[in-house]
Order: sequence, then structure tokens, then C-alpha cells
Amino acid sequence: MKAVDAENITKQYGSFYAVKDLSFDVPKGSVYGLLGPNGAGKTTTIRMIMNVIIPDNGSISVLGEKMSENMKSRIGYLPEERGLYPKMKVGELLVFLAGLKGLRGQEAKQGIDQWLERFDLSEWRDKKAEELSRGMQQKVQFIATVVHKPELIILDEPFSGLDPVNTKLLKDIMLEMKEGGVSIIFSTHRMEQVEMICDNICLINKAQSVLKGNLAEIKKNYGKNTVILEYDGDGLRVREYPEVENIDDYGKYMEIKLKDRADPQKFLESLAGKVRIDRFEIKEPTLNAIFIEKVREKNE
Amino acid sequence: MSKILAVIKREYLQIVRTKSFILGTVLGPVIMGLFIFIPVLVSVMSVGDQERIGVIDASREIYQELAERMDFKLKDGRLKYVLEDYRLTADLEQLKDTLNQKVLAGDISGYMVIPENIIEGGTIEFAAEHVSDFDKISSINKALNTVIIEKRLKKAGLEPGEVSKYMEEVRFVTQKVTKKGVEEDTGGTFIVSYILVLILYMTLIFYGQLILRGVIEEKSSRVVEVVLSSLKPSQLMAGKILGIAAVGLTQYLIWAVFGVALSSYSSSLVSSFLPQASGFKIPSIPVYVFVYFVVFFILGYFLFSTLYAAIGSTVNSEKEAQQLGTPLTMMLVIPILLMMFVMRSPDSTLSIVLSLIPFFSPILMLLRICVLLPPFIEILGSIVLLIVTTVGMIWFAGKIYRVGLLMYGKRPSLPEIIKWVKYK
Repeated sequence: MKAVDAENITKQYGSFYAVKDLSFDVPKGSVYGLLGPNGAGKTTTIRMIMNVIIPDNGSISVLGEKMSENMKSRIGYLPEERGLYPKMKVGELLVFLAGLKGLRGQEAKQGIDQWLERFDLSEWRDKKAEELSRGMQQKVQFIATVVHKPELIILDEPFSGLDPVNTKLLKDIMLEMKEGGVSIIFSTHRMEQVEMICDNICLINKAQSVLKGNLAEIKKNYGKNTVILEYDGDGLRVREYPEVENIDDYGKYMEIKLKDRADPQKFLESLAGKVRIDRFEIKEPTLNAIFIEKVREKNE
Repeated sequence: MSKILAVIKREYLQIVRTKSFILGTVLGPVIMGLFIFIPVLVSVMSVGDQERIGVIDASREIYQELAERMDFKLKDGRLKYVLEDYRLTADLEQLKDTLNQKVLAGDISGYMVIPENIIEGGTIEFAAEHVSDFDKISSINKALNTVIIEKRLKKAGLEPGEVSKYMEEVRFVTQKVTKKGVEEDTGGTFIVSYILVLILYMTLIFYGQLILRGVIEEKSSRVVEVVLSSLKPSQLMAGKILGIAAVGLTQYLIWAVFGVALSSYSSSLVSSFLPQASGFKIPSIPVYVFVYFVVFFILGYFLFSTLYAAIGSTVNSEKEAQQLGTPLTMMLVIPILLMMFVMRSPDSTLSIVLSLIPFFSPILMLLRICVLLPPFIEILGSIVLLIVTTVGMIWFAGKIYRVGLLMYGKRPSLPEIIKWVKYK
């Protein structure tokens, strides 16, 4: 069974396509990366999954059923643009939001208590939301997303604004939930996070899917013609080698994409004497590089 | 339904618990009560001071009797006004100068100049540092009138006592013709209509603005994205509007309790302080007026609050909302401007038409119901038109609200907003 199955969904505003003919499916119990540059149509897609916006064409089924209002209580959604009622106390706010998901009474209270405890927020239960720091508000929002034990959670930039300690806590919880059978749709611009967490991805650009499938397979298909180079010296001299197709230079670190069928060994030889080499590694391209290439390709 | 209930509960508790609601609801009537009772209390409690008033009586006929007439007493039994006779021995202007000095020095509070030809129709001048004490001026004026008219009558050979019998004012009462017959009306209708209509107007504006601010807060704090992952925009809007309606009805209930208490105790309270006002009575309001009041409040509230909610959803700040909200607020202000006209001629064709127009009808039909009970068919007509319009506006506003809530950035133009209605 699929956690989400979107078939040829389209949303149009006037002559502008927010999402065009998009299909993807999220296997149950996996982490699915929904990626794309700003304005690509990710939020519209998520809103359509959540039944907040109705697609003009195509169909979406969630957890094996056609998406409907009743399904909302089985899903948790942490939007990118998120907030809390500033004047409400944290505890009351969570009871309210849990209540909207159908979780009430003692069950709601216990769930909220446990989560507040886990996020070290118990002392803030009776404080107004506006008194919390941004990171704390984030955590409260996350609790509201998961307290009703959803079978599918959609997290849009869940780590933004969190310190390393809380980022780790949140990542651990995500993996815990995945192991518990929860399906997760994860949307972010941080490709290194996607590489570490996601099983499958769908890359959207300009309202359409440009790349999708199993992350490991995608990377394998790109072949081992990427070189990671840590160096010291004049980076420009690296470019002199004719088989170089593309370089992402960070000053002391480079990701170099060689042309198809280029021999990395010859490239290494050519570098000798030009720069000081601290590391030379032949590997699959990073998702970051794939993302940039795909988006650029489409825009050209 | 349980989701709507959760929203209703949240809206209700969030507002009812605020200090401003508690102050507005409880202190409002208390302050109104104080406005009524404080002036009464002040005038009852203060003893007042004696005032010395100079009289230059050039005719030499008036002073004696005027002094007898001006026998107003202070609370402690002393005379309120003490008259001082200034003989006109030499030059009038010179005497006036002297008295002006006395007025400025505070020796006397004022003085009057009675001319020689007063019986034949001369003019009396009264000079004082200030002439704003209406009570004093009219007491003096009245006493002078009585004395001088009596003198004139006697001079013409008439008996003042007889004449005053004939001159007694014609008694004139106003009555209101209703289905139940004829009722006496001493202006109470006017005051009651005025107050009821103003309460309706103020609460419609107040609760409309409350909805507007609530929607903007939800949108600008982005909490709406979170909430919409659990319910439909229409459920959120319905919950919000019903929750705040419940707040409004709570406020009315508290005021009604105050009102009933006030009207049943006020007469005894006022008369215990002021025996001469024992006839004072707060006019009683017929039950049907209350029923219609609630009906028109509820309908008017739904009409305006859904539109305020729609406006709130299209903007990003309260400042932007003000521009867009003004035309809607004008729809409430216009009937208030027309109020005097409708009150004066409630039965004219124009009044009837105005009171049928949906946006005006809550205020103007209620006003006509207070002033004269219009034919039931007219009331029914206005209610039906209002319901139809309200249902249409709820549909329209719901469409806008649904799209507007999720739109950030530039404020949409009106044609863009109209386009939203077509979105699936």
C-alpha cells in the first residue's frame, strides 16, 4: 500500500501552472524527499495532499483511500510557514490543536505531557506562545504535528531555526517514527539532510517533476564521474583540464564533474604540480550537484 | 461538527477572558448608570451658597415684590438669593460702574437694571461675571415676569388671579396608536429607539472588527496553515463567527440583567434622593421589540461578520484592512445618518424602501419597529431579503476567505478577488 499516491495532479491559477501533471508515490513506512527550488510548486503539492487546495485535474489517494476531510486526522502536517496563536498558553494551544485532530480528554493530556517532557518544555506549558523563543515555538509546532499519532507526517523545513542539539533530537524522532511504520514526506532545501534521511525523492521544478525515484539508484545512474578534491593553491588551474564539465568550488574543497567517459586517473595526473592535493576521491555525485544540474537543465 | 465546536470554544474563551471584555461588559453599564445618577446625586448633595444680587430699580415699583417672590431656599433653610437695593440717586452709568466693580470683586454675583418704563414694556438688563447658570437666570426671569405682568394687569383694571386662571396652559399629551389601542407616550419611545438602535450599531461594528482582527492575527501569525491541516476553511470561519456571536450574546445577557435591575430599582432609587422626581419612570419596552432586536442583531451580525472575515483574509495587516473595511463600515454608518429622517417620517415610502435594503435593514427596520409597528409583511419582507442576502454573502465570503487565507504578499486587487470565487 502507498502512503500517498498522486496521479497526474494539476493546479492552475489563470494561465499560470502551480503544479502540472505531477505523479509520484510515497511507499508506506519510508521517508520521501519532496524537493525543488523556491516557487517550484512544493507547497501547492503538499496543500493538495492535505485537501486544503483541490487539484483541477488528477487524483490523490492517501493511506489507501481517496483524500477527504476525514483523512486529515490521520495525517500530521508541519507547514513551512507556521505559527501559533500568540496569546494562547502552550498547554491550551496543544489541547486545541490535538482536539481538531480528534484527540481529546485524558489521552490528549497524557500525549501532550509526554511530548513536552521529551522536548524539555514542561515548564512552558502555562506560558503564552508569544513568550517562547523561535526554536521553542518550532518544537511546540512539531508536537502539534505528531501528538495524535498520525500514520503519515509531512514536514516542510522542520529543522530551520533549530540548534544542533534539537536538530539531532528531531532527526532521531523522525527515524523512530519511520521504524514504527509512519510514512514521512520531508521537504527541504538542505540536500545533505535529504541524502542522510530520505529513501526516495521527487524533484520538482517549474510545476513539473524532473527527477524521481529511489535516491541510491538515482545517484548510481549518474555514474562515478564526480571527483571530490580538497586542495590548497590556485583553484583556477584545475579548470585547465579539458575533460572537466562542471566545478563547484568552495575555496578549499571542490566537487568536479567530469565529462562522460573521462578517466579520473588522467585527471589526477594532470593536477600534479598545479595544486597541493589533500584528498582526491572518485564518487557518485552529491544530491546537491544533481539538484543544481537538473534545475539548470530545465531552465535552459 | 466537533471541530467547529472546538473553534467556537477557543474563540469564546479567548475573548471572554480578556480584561477588555470584562471591563467593557461590566464597567459599561456601571459607567452608564453613573452618568445618570451622579448629576442627580451632585445636585441633591450640594448645599450651595447664598448669592447676593444687586437691583437698580428705576421704576421704584418692582423691588419690594420681587424680593418677596425670590424666596428660593437653600438646603439649610437660608435664602438662596439675597437682593440688594441700589437707589438710583445720580448718574446710572456711574452706579453701573460701581456695581461692575463689586461684581468683579465678588461682593455681588450680578445685578439687574429695571428701567423706569418697565410696566409699559421696557427691557431689563442682567449683568454678571458669567450668565451660564441656566437655573439662576430662569428663576430671576420667571420672578420678574410674574411681578411685572401682575402689575400690568392691575393697571389695566384686571384681577391677576382671575386672569391667570384663564391663562393656564392648555394640557397637551402625545399618544401612540397601536393594535392594542391608544397608549400614552411621553417621549420614551424616542429615547428607547435611539438607545436600542445605537446598541445594535455599536455591537455590529465592534464584533465585525473583532472578527476582522482575529482573521488577520491567524493569517499573519501563520497559525492558519497549521489549523487548516485539520479542518476546512469554512469550518474555521463558521466556528469563529459563531464563537464571537456567543460572546456578543453573553454580553447582551449581562447587559439585559443590568438593564432589568436598573429599570426596576431606578424609580425608587431616584425618588429616594429626589422626592420631586418621584414620577420618573424608565419607559417599558414591549417584548416584541426585544425579539426583533435579537433577530436583527443575529442576521445583521452574520451578514457583516462574514464580510469582515473575507476582508481579513485578503489582507496582511490591520492597516490594509482599514482601507478595504471602510466601505463595509459605511454600510453601517449610512443608516445611522438616515436615522433622524426615518424617525420623523417612519411611514414615508422612502423610509419603507430604505428599511427593506438588506445592509440597512437591521438598523432601519428595527428603528421603524420601535417608532411604529410597521405591517408584518414589511418586517417579514426585510427579514427574508436579509436572510437571502446573508446566505449569498456567506457563500461569496467563504470562497474569498478560503483562497485569501493562504495568500501572502501583495494585497490582491478587487478583480483578482472576484476571480478567486471561480477557483475550484
